[in-house]
Amino acid sequence: MSTLVSSASGGDELEARPPTRASKRELWVVFWIFPIFFGLFGMVFVFLARVIPPPRPDVTTGQKVQWFAAHATTIQIGFAAVCVIFGGAAIANGYVAYQMKRMSSGSTFAYTYMGAMAVGTLPGLLLVVLCFLAATLRPDRRPPITGLLYDLGMLSFNGSLGCFSTGYLAFAIAILYDRNGIFPKWLAYASIWQIVTEVIATQMWVSPAGPYAWNGSIAFWVAVIIFGFWLNCQGLMLKMATDRQPAGSRPND
Amino acid sequence: MTHAEPTRVAGLQLRAASIDDGQQRTVRLPGDGHMWFMVLGDLIIFAAYFIIYMVQRAMAPEAYLQAQQHLSITIGIFNTLVLVTSSWFIAQSVRATADARHERAIRLIYGGGACGVLFIALKAYEWSMKITQGYTTSNEFFMFYYMLTGTHLFHVALGLLILGIVVRELRNPRRRRLSIVEQGATYWHMVDLLWLVIFALLYVMR
Amino acid sequence: MATGAAITSHSTSNPSSRAITYSWTILCLLTIGLWWLSPGHTTNTVEPSVDITTVVIVLGFIKGRLVIRYFMAVKNAPQWLRLSTDFWLLMLWGAVLGIYLY
Repeated sequence: MSTLVSSASGGDELEARPPTRASKRELWVVFWIFPIFFGLFGMVFVFLARVIPPPRPDVTTGQKVQWFAAHATTIQIGFAAVCVIFGGAAIANGYVAYQMKRMSSGSTFAYTYMGAMAVGTLPGLLLVVLCFLAATLRPDRRPPITGLLYDLGMLSFNGSLGCFSTGYLAFAIAILYDRNGIFPKWLAYASIWQIVTEVIATQMWVSPAGPYAWNGSIAFWVAVIIFGFWLNCQGLMLKMATDRQPAGSRPND
Repeated sequence: MTHAEPTRVAGLQLRAASIDDGQQRTVRLPGDGHMWFMVLGDLIIFAAYFIIYMVQRAMAPEAYLQAQQHLSITIGIFNTLVLVTSSWFIAQSVRATADARHERAIRLIYGGGACGVLFIALKAYEWSMKITQGYTTSNEFFMFYYMLTGTHLFHVALGLLILGIVVRELRNPRRRRLSIVEQGATYWHMVDLLWLVIFALLYVMR
Repeated sequence: MATGAAITSHSTSNPSSRAITYSWTILCLLTIGLWWLSPGHTTNTVEPSVDITTVVIVLGFIKGRLVIRYFMAVKNAPQWLRLSTDFWLLMLWGAVLGIYLY
């Protein structure tokens, strides 16, 4: 981020460049990747890959094979696109971590958040992409294996919550300790809801049907509604933080 | 009467009005808007869980009724009285803080916290009893029982942490803000309120 | 919790010590009353009972309102809070009753 720049060369002609105004352009470019990425992610996962809302766990192997056959084309298009753009997750979460570094609570929480989100992306986003693309690549694969890919994809996508819970906890604590007011307190409280719903959702590992299954009213629907609400709040508050950041300022190291 | 400082929640200004209607009654928001956001949101989320519980119960009422019988009403009643009493302590501590009796307020919070610890101990004992008796999450009713009381227990533990923060606030003569004590109290009373619902739905209603 | 106005002159919006104790007494009495109603106390087997459950639901509403109004000091809170907490109580217990009776 450039502020005043001038150059002087000895006694020769002084090439004084006019002072350049501090700009937040880089911040805004990075910020917009957050809503764009999550918007695309939402559209792919809901309309193309059909994993939000998830297909049922209480089906036979034959039905799982049928489901893949029915959605193969859109899964392949959607998830192939995700393979290209999922770096957006790193940027989006990285930008949140950047703003967290501006907090008086220090960089530790920012790095915890960044690490937790990064590690969580593997089971929480990529694994379902890889499993489902593998399943749709060979429609004549042995059904039990296809069935395994169905289960593995859905369980990892919905059940891999520990990393994200850790990230949300770091986010919440950082906000509550922060005296610079980067994010508002209520967002910290909303993050705690995220943690609770994630922990409750672990029951999907033992419930093939009912409200605690991976498509259940409690383990899925309540959790995804809260997640959608929270993600929008985080995005909005991220925009406000970017708005309020003084041009030319830098976070502490 | 002086006006309260307005609090801001995401740009929305919640100005506490000062109305003196001759009965020395003022209208103001206890604590701050952020904590009320947390409390109201939590109440809504739990309400969703409660309603889902009722729907699931309506699909298998005999099975749920059968399973409900295995809960110990005695422990449930006792836990309710413990938590209600803890709320008495906390409410009194807010009153004491408002009257600038900070030492008394701290003692009252310790009382409330002690009740909270007792609640957790009783709940842990109850759980261990149920588990050794063989009632685990494989039973639909007990899945709800463990999930609702477990989530509630997490809230109680968080509440104890918050009460600790309130005590720290009260100990420091340069702080002692009523707003902080009220925020902690608001959260704690929510925990009490949620338990009243859980007790009614899981232990008593048939 | 880093922000908050240091208000001590508005202490009259918090309920009085007496109001708190009265509320606590009523809550305890209602709770012990539920013990009397509860399954297994009067008979050995439990039968479903619409009357008892309705009483439980109404008591739940009353107890909840007591905690909200007197412990949480919503009695003297701005109208939006009084209305939304009452609305929550009505929605919750109304839904519970409705689903139970359906």
